[in-house]
Amino acid sequence: MKYMLLLRHSPDAGPVEGTPEFDAEMAKWGDVMGDLGGAGAMVAAHGLDTEATATTVRVRDDEALVTDGPFAETKESFFSYIIIDVADLDAALGWAKRMPNATYGSVEVRPLSIHEQDS
Amino acid sequence: MAAAHLAIERAYREEWTSLLATLAGQVGGDIGLAEEAVAEAFVAAASDWPTAGVPARPGGWLTTVARRRAIDALRRGRTRIANQAAVEHLEALIRDNNDMSTGDRGHSASGVADDRLRLIFTCCHPALALDARVALTLRAVAGLEVAEIAHAFLTTETTMYQRLVRAKRKVKAAGIPYRVPADDELPERLHGVLHVLHLVYTEGHMATTGDDLVRSDLCDEAIRLARLVAQLVPDAAEAHGPGVPAPDRRTATGPHRR
Repeated sequence: MKYMLLLRHSPDAGPVEGTPEFDAEMAKWGDVMGDLGGAGAMVAAHGLDTEATATTVRVRDDEALVTDGPFAETKESFFSYIIIDVADLDAALGWAKRMPNATYGSVEVRPLSIHEQDS
Repeated sequence: MAAAHLAIERAYREEWTSLLATLAGQVGGDIGLAEEAVAEAFVAAASDWPTAGVPARPGGWLTTVARRRAIDALRRGRTRIANQAAVEHLEALIRDNNDMSTGDRGHSASGVADDRLRLIFTCCHPALALDARVALTLRAVAGLEVAEIAHAFLTTETTMYQRLVRAKRKVKAAGIPYRVPADDELPERLHGVLHVLHLVYTEGHMATTGDDLVRSDLCDEAIRLARLVAQLVPDAAEAHGPGVPAPDRRTATGPHRR
């Protein structure tokens, strides 16, 4: 089954770039992404720029409303997604627990829709 | 006829969990589909047995009817290609059961025990909301009617029905596996199961101070299910422990304790 892991964190949480903690976390990211690839479970993964760079579009009554910022202002910002292909939810949760940001942010595990599962 | 009704009641009490647990495993862990098929088999029994007589092997009769209903549901399903394998498997099981006398479910006793455990762990999966875990456990594992569960938790039948539909849909759509957790997850997941049973017990226990007799059934169900878990996971000291409803320790720690 295919799942998307939606990775979130508070921008001020987690290790700061340039510190040994940051390097240690980067190594962990490298490990888990490498293991995902090695297990044949990786479908796609991309990191996103900050929410400060986001623009949201809504069309209402044929009029486009373009606004600054993400869909919803939340404490945690959405910074990356990974699509994985694994046996079941327990396997997906196992990978989610290994995401370094799970210790200070969160990882939402969402199955792709049923139409996406067979492709 | 009274005899037929007694036989149906007895079969419901003794066979519901095993029928549902085994069938769910044969349809890829789709608890919702299995539950409907087993419920329909009992409806069929209620209309057939009083006139045609109680079959020699009630469990076998119910198993076959439930499998046929499951095949019908799988054929109606949206993912027909994926369902084809399950349909063929069930059809083969029906054929084999008619040819051989391999027991009611063509299944060893330990196989049935495994199925019941898989059902309990799936209903109590932490990916489901706590109230959904409680409702699903009472419906699928304990076989309580939706109206009974709604009454016990002081909500409407519609609300409870919808809660169950959402829970069963999530089990299927989110890919919650139909299995007993691996050894390293087992203690934590077992704790989760006992937490659900404890909630059921507490809910019933608080009600027994009132005049609502139906809710005392919850205590009985919690005890029955805790015994079942203790019996199926003999090493689960926690299931025999003081925090768990087991007033009759002689039965709770009976023949399964070695």
